[in-house]
This record gives sequence, structure tokens and C-alpha cells, in this order.
Amino acid sequence: MIRRALLVAAREGRADRRQPDGLVAAATFVAALVLLESVVVGPQVARASSVAPALYWIALLFAAIVIAMRSFERELEDDAIDAVLALPGGRDALYAGKLIALLGTLAVVAVGGGVLEIALLDLDIALPGHLLLAAALGVVALPAVVILDVALTLRLRARAALVPVLALPVLVPQLVAATNATALALEGDPSGSLAWSGLLLAIALVYAVLGLTIVPTAIE
Amino acid sequence: MITTAFPRTIPMRIRPALAPASVVAALVATAMALVWAPTDAVQGDVQRVMYVHVPSAWLAYLAFLVVFVASVGWLWSKRPVFDAIAVASAEIGVLFTGLTLIAGSIWAKPTWGVWWTWEPRLLTTAVMFVMYVGYLLLRSLSLDLERRATRSAVAGIVAVVNVPIVHLSVTWMNALHQLPSVLRPGGPALDDRMLATLIVGVVAFTILYAWMLAARVDLERARQDRVLGSLLLKRAAGA
Repeated sequence: MIRRALLVAAREGRADRRQPDGLVAAATFVAALVLLESVVVGPQVARASSVAPALYWIALLFAAIVIAMRSFERELEDDAIDAVLALPGGRDALYAGKLIALLGTLAVVAVGGGVLEIALLDLDIALPGHLLLAAALGVVALPAVVILDVALTLRLRARAALVPVLALPVLVPQLVAATNATALALEGDPSGSLAWSGLLLAIALVYAVLGLTIVPTAIE
Repeated sequence: MITTAFPRTIPMRIRPALAPASVVAALVATAMALVWAPTDAVQGDVQRVMYVHVPSAWLAYLAFLVVFVASVGWLWSKRPVFDAIAVASAEIGVLFTGLTLIAGSIWAKPTWGVWWTWEPRLLTTAVMFVMYVGYLLLRSLSLDLERRATRSAVAGIVAVVNVPIVHLSVTWMNALHQLPSVLRPGGPALDDRMLATLIVGVVAFTILYAWMLAARVDLERARQDRVLGSLLLKRAAGA
């Protein structure tokens, strides 16, 4: 299954390189949100350690939804999804492959958005190592739920409206943990940041296992 | 010997009694809550909201746990009755989560001075409410019976993760909401008559749940039969 999942992820990577519309849309969305937040609340409020991480993670969450939806839409547009599903273990491989691919693309958007936010808001970073760990685990914690909800709404006409409705409430613990881990890394609280990062890892594992166990049955 | 009589299981035997039992239990619980239970020395009469708020919250937990079990049952066996139970229980759960939030707000205004506060128990309960509204939305937008049931079952299993988070949020985080008064180490921290009233309230709400669930499952099963019947007719016409 791992080999097939990696094949799906590699195919996804190739498709992203040829037609990077999902990546471009997500990166533009994150950049626009960083700029908008500074304009709306003012740079002094936006750079507060309790505000900047929250808006960053909300932006990344929506970026993950944009990337995942675009990825599945591409499959549906040319009926490629039917060929993958017809393979033995195709559903498992599709879920795991999409998960890995979203992880990679989201990491690129997270680095870009993070650098932009740090530069534009002139953020002081007390613990760079902890910040990187929190960012990495935050990126790992989002895709399992996002892919799950996009897969659930596959072939539904109202999926653009339904995915955020389904995903946002489930992702509240991830958002809270990622925001706190990042904020405490900015403020210089190593133990607090590590505790929230640990929670992020636990959540990521729970949803990845849950997703791999039950979601493939719902992919049509 | 061949018999055409449907075997009368225990749930079928007690079913006709659910409606009158529910009405009687509701009347007894109301009388106990308004007359028999003593007035709280600190909060006064507003504390009596607890006799609606706590049973509603219990019922929401129960309903969503039943959604989870029925969802597993559907994925395991593909028997339509499990899907009917899941949707019936989810609708009742959403109704009673809404009632929990409203009753909590009515209690909070005179006690905390606000209708709503950003407190872990309130926040996680509101998130649970939105989550199951999303579950019902997902169901309503899927037309095919089997696909809808499978999608909903996955959503029902994922959403149940929030139930223990709601219940334990007051012990995990610094919360304004009071800690558990009944299910706590060292026994309940309530006056005996208050505790008895609360227990009767919980029993009354549970009977009400069983009645509503049975009625809603019947409706859903009839709808499933209609859909399956029309499908069979279409197939027969096509053949």
C-alpha cells in the first residue's frame, strides 16, 4: 500500500508542477490574508504574539482546503480518479497518496507564508527551533482531516460550501494547539511550546489512523 | 410449524409504553424541579435551570454516541436500519445540544452576567453543535441512499471524538464552567433532593429520547422503503 500511495503522491507532484493552480491559489490566498489582517487590525495588533499565529494558521487551514479541493477536482475533470479506484487497494492508496501530496504542497505554502508574515510584521522570534517544530507539526496535523472531508464530499455539487462546514469544527483542536505552540515559541516559553507541539503530533496520528481506517470506504 | 407473526422482542413490547411513560416522567420531573427540590442558597431559583440543562447535555452525549455505534453498524453490515438510527439520533442530538446551549445561556446571564462567554465547555459544546449540523447537511445533500449512508457514517465516527473533549474540557483547561457535581471522585456534591430531581430529569429525558428515536426511525425506514421500492420499479420498467 505504501508503494502505491507514494505513486499517487508522485503523480500528484507531477500534476502540480505541470499545472500549479492549486499551489498558486493557496499561496496567493495566504499572502492576501497576511496583508489584509495588517490593514484591518493595524500592524501593531497584527504582530502581537497572540494574533499573528492565529491568523497564520487560519490562512493555512483555508489554503489546505483550496489545495485539496483543487487536487480532487483535477482527478474528476479527466476521470482519472476512476482508474485509481479500480486498482486493488486503490482507495487506500488514493487517500494516503493525497495526504502525502497535500503535506508537501502545504509545507511549501507554510514556509512562504511564514517568511512573508515574519518579514512584513517584523516578528521577534525568541525560540526559532521551537517555532520550526511547531510549524512542521501544525502542517502535519491539518491534511488528514482536510482530505477526509474533501473525500466525503466528492461528487457532491455543494462540496465547495460543505467542506469548510465539515472541516472547520473538527480542526478546532489543531488550530488551538498550533496557534499556542507558535505563540509560545515567539514569546520564549520552550516547555509550553513543546507541550502544544506534542498535542499536535498526537492529534495528527489519531486522525491519520482514523482516516486510513474508514475514509477509503467513503471514496466513490 | 411456519408462523407469519413477527417475533415480539423486548424493544417492540415496551415501545407502545414509551409515549405515556415519557409524558408521566416529564410531569413528575417538572413537579420535582419546580416544587419539591429546594431553592439553592447561593443562586436562588435560577439554579433550577440545571434540571433542564444537565439532562439535555446528557441526552446530547447519548444521542451522538448512538450515532457513532449506528455508523459503525452501517459500515460493518450495510443494514439500512443502522443508517435510520444514525440520522434519527443525530437530529435529536442536535435538538438537545441546542437546548443545552440555550438553557445554559439563560442560567449564565444572571449568574455570570453574560449570555455567552469564551469558555472551554461552552466553546466545545458549540463546536459539537456545528459539527453535527454539518453531519445533517452532508446527509441532506447526498441523494443516493447507500452513498449517503456511507458518507454520513464516516462523518458520524469522526465527529464523536468531540464528545469526550466536551465532557472533559472543564477538567483539562481552566474553566469558568463548574466542575462535574455528580460524576466526580468522592461522590455527588449535591443536596439529596436536588440529586434525586436531577436523576428523575435524566430518566425522563432518556425515555423521551427513546420515544423520539423510535418514531423517527419508523419515518426513516418508511422513506428508505419508498426509495428502494421506486428503484425496483424503475429497474423492472427498464427490463
